[in-house]
Amino acid sequence: MVAADPTYVPRKNALMKFAEWLTLGRFVLIICAIICAWLVFVPLVSLIYVSFAEDTPAGPGALTFENFINAYSKDYLPDLFITSLEFAVSSAIITLLLGAGIAWVVERTDAPGRNIFHALSLVAFAVPGLLIAMAWALTLSPNIGWGNKVLQAVFGLDEAPFNIFSMGGMIWTLSSHYFPLAYLLMGPAFRVLDIRMEEAAVVAGAKNWQVARRVTMPLLRPAILSTLLLLFVRAIEAFEVPLLLGLPSKIYVFTTEIRFAIAEAPPQFGYSSALGLTLLVICILGVWAYRHATRDAEAYATVTGKGYMPTPIKLGAWRWPVTIATSLVFVAALGLPLIALLWQSVYYKTIPNVDLVADFTLRNYAYILEYPVFLSALKNSAILGASSATLVVALGFVMAWMVQRTNVRHAWTLDAMAFIPIAIPSVIIGASILFAYLMLQRYLPFQLYNTLGILLIAYVTMYLPYGMRFASGGIIQIHKELEEVAEVSGASLMQTFRRVLLPLMSPVLIAAWLYIFVMAVRELTASIFLAGPHTQVLGTISLTLWEEGGSYGTVAALSMVQIIPLIMIVAVMRHMENKISRRG
Amino acid sequence: MLTIESLKKTFITRDGSRVNAVGGVSLEVETGKLLTLLGPSGCGKTTTLRSVAGLEKPDEGRIVIDGEVVFDSREGINTPANRRGIGMVFQSYAIWPHMTVFENVAFPMRVSQDRKYSNAEIEGMVARALDMVRLGGYQTRSSTQLSGGQQQRLALARGLVKEPKLLLLDEPLSNLDAKLREQMRFELKRLQLELGITTLYVTHDQAEALALSDEIAVMDSGHVIQRGNPYEIYHKPITEFVAAFIGSTNILRGRVENAMAADGMGSVVTAHGVLRCSFSRGAASEDDVIIVIRPEDVVLSAEAPADPQNAFQGKVANRIFLGEVIDYLIDSGEEELRVRARPEWDFAIGAEVHISLPPEKCVGLADRHETAPAAA
Repeated sequence: MVAADPTYVPRKNALMKFAEWLTLGRFVLIICAIICAWLVFVPLVSLIYVSFAEDTPAGPGALTFENFINAYSKDYLPDLFITSLEFAVSSAIITLLLGAGIAWVVERTDAPGRNIFHALSLVAFAVPGLLIAMAWALTLSPNIGWGNKVLQAVFGLDEAPFNIFSMGGMIWTLSSHYFPLAYLLMGPAFRVLDIRMEEAAVVAGAKNWQVARRVTMPLLRPAILSTLLLLFVRAIEAFEVPLLLGLPSKIYVFTTEIRFAIAEAPPQFGYSSALGLTLLVICILGVWAYRHATRDAEAYATVTGKGYMPTPIKLGAWRWPVTIATSLVFVAALGLPLIALLWQSVYYKTIPNVDLVADFTLRNYAYILEYPVFLSALKNSAILGASSATLVVALGFVMAWMVQRTNVRHAWTLDAMAFIPIAIPSVIIGASILFAYLMLQRYLPFQLYNTLGILLIAYVTMYLPYGMRFASGGIIQIHKELEEVAEVSGASLMQTFRRVLLPLMSPVLIAAWLYIFVMAVRELTASIFLAGPHTQVLGTISLTLWEEGGSYGTVAALSMVQIIPLIMIVAVMRHMENKISRRG
Repeated sequence: MLTIESLKKTFITRDGSRVNAVGGVSLEVETGKLLTLLGPSGCGKTTTLRSVAGLEKPDEGRIVIDGEVVFDSREGINTPANRRGIGMVFQSYAIWPHMTVFENVAFPMRVSQDRKYSNAEIEGMVARALDMVRLGGYQTRSSTQLSGGQQQRLALARGLVKEPKLLLLDEPLSNLDAKLREQMRFELKRLQLELGITTLYVTHDQAEALALSDEIAVMDSGHVIQRGNPYEIYHKPITEFVAAFIGSTNILRGRVENAMAADGMGSVVTAHGVLRCSFSRGAASEDDVIIVIRPEDVVLSAEAPADPQNAFQGKVANRIFLGEVIDYLIDSGEEELRVRARPEWDFAIGAEVHISLPPEKCVGLADRHETAPAAA
């Protein structure tokens, strides 16, 4: 035996040293890092590569600047830029005004019905963007829009007063789709704003408008700025609204231009990725500025955090007028499109008739529910939604735990990597994953192209930041000592996970799962690039049905059978949300 | 029972700088005794405790619990926290909100690796532990319905339920309000004496340390500055830091005139003349020293005292009536002295008073901030 010599140290070969270095923590970290890096960097690298490579029928060829020269020398490029920015900036501002207004009413006033407004905002979140765009087209199309017809009849007009297929129509439609997001972002800012800071200004002798200008606005500025930036990024990468409403009037933005360049024969991969890279840079700058602004916002939050008391502003005689005004916003932004879809779905003719009883029909629903394409798309969307939500939540939970709880070095890189997809527009995710796996196809042992697998990769990439965010937030809520005391009590790591961490985290994880499931089922933009003949999803078949222009009634019925379950899921989410906040 | 040898731990902060949390701490705790690690936040006391628990991996050193080496940097031994068989109570109590009182206490048996516990056995152990902390009959309560003090007891019951060899307490009373804290202090002392359980206690509260400990180790900047029983720590501080940290104290600066004599007394030239004092360690003539004296040891009188030794005059600058005592701030020319006096020594603000400092209560200390580890 060698143990007799206390100075004896066995010589270690490289493999043994590696095995010693490779603790369980490092192993999990490395696996997560590889998955993360693969998901995030493969599309980015392929996007950059394709944009600098010559387009050949056999795929990307020699390196060249031709794509950029080609893209930037197009005489419509300045127009494309200006149109995209006009659309994004205006939508961001309108959305902010709507969202901030509702947030103010819900968080700061005693107007009746505030809980209903909160719930309705979540309902609005559940409605897919494509369906909102369809609903507005059905309402305010100059030819078939029932809203226009009603206005024409009432006011005796010869021409339709509104044309949804215009820049103004696009901006309004996108705002009516995104205002819940603005509400959710601005709500906390109003909530942490300590009313006593305003009272202190009043006591110091300030008039109301002076309080607003010198105290309230400066305190809210970081939140407003960061919300605007995020809305701008979301608007410039928006695809459904420009596709449905911009195209008929030949209004193009970056996302639609990229889509059509790829849909051309032969597909212009180089040109579209050169444009895509431009869009990506704009989005990255926006997200970078957003991160910067939210850092400031957090600094403000800590200042106001102490001694905060939520005292609503007493509106007095204005209580009901404020509630009515807010309700009108919901009617205009959410009620009209939903009514349009519901109405259209129970009529077979193109334009809903005032002769309600005679023309009422359920054959649209009957048709949809027996339509084989719908059933297979429903199955695909459900599978993709459930599997992407499960993967993202599991990955996010493990990675967030590594980042928050372990002292494994470099764990923070996971956090940084998982955040990157926030800045990548869905159009680019779809296009670049298409490029990447077309190129990688011949090296892969199995077929990915035209399978649900490639869609799953895209979904997981897109929703990774959300999974990470939810999980981090949940873990931060749980005091570290709750896990440590389990360990000291003799529990193994798995026992601590199963008996302590998972039960405590389950409301957060379920909420995250549902949130991602809803987003995945709503998805259209990336799916357009990746869905094959047998892997159509709800978004793509809705679009196809719309573009075929057959029966609007069928499309409306198809919309309703998506919206109703989504709203029910969001209701469950709200229930989980309450559970979380009650415990916190 | 518990031995800690030359424990060292360095943290690397987010900006990349190194922080010496523990810089070579050595301690022993005898079986059945309670040792308190006392010091300001960031002094390394919690890191030391967490290293003993196995929640922190030290860079260097050795930890032995009941004859079993649980950590040794040179031998590469590091028993995980869940195999060290200790009980621990955290500052936040760390009561699991999704479990009942019973399940919280039953947890250590439920996850036990070394042997299976039958349900009857678990019920008996939980009942005994809850009785011990006077929570008997609370088994079916939801743990979130408990008050702060009850959660505290519950955390203690969970730590004690498997009758561990060693109990670690990390600022267990700091989240309680003042009244409850005092009550729990007695409770803890009673339990510790009853069970005779070896305990390592961490706190920044000197009153708590003095009340509970068999021995106190005062820590600062990752080192143990002084070890001793509560009386020694309070009355014979060996550095200015210890004197200032344990209770309020008066500090007078001066220079040694006569070094320590055989009786441990010497004399020091100060702004108030030559003062006789005891030295806690050797001091040579001409050394700069400080003299520390507790406010309650200062004697005030209206008339000049019979013995002029260590006496001088001052003026009452301020007074606060606290009920059982009066706190005075005395302006004595050079320095302000804090005096805690019995209520019958009643002087008005502005009154001239005679101050005398009993020589045996004056402790002379070398006038520098010591951070070197005290010889054990």
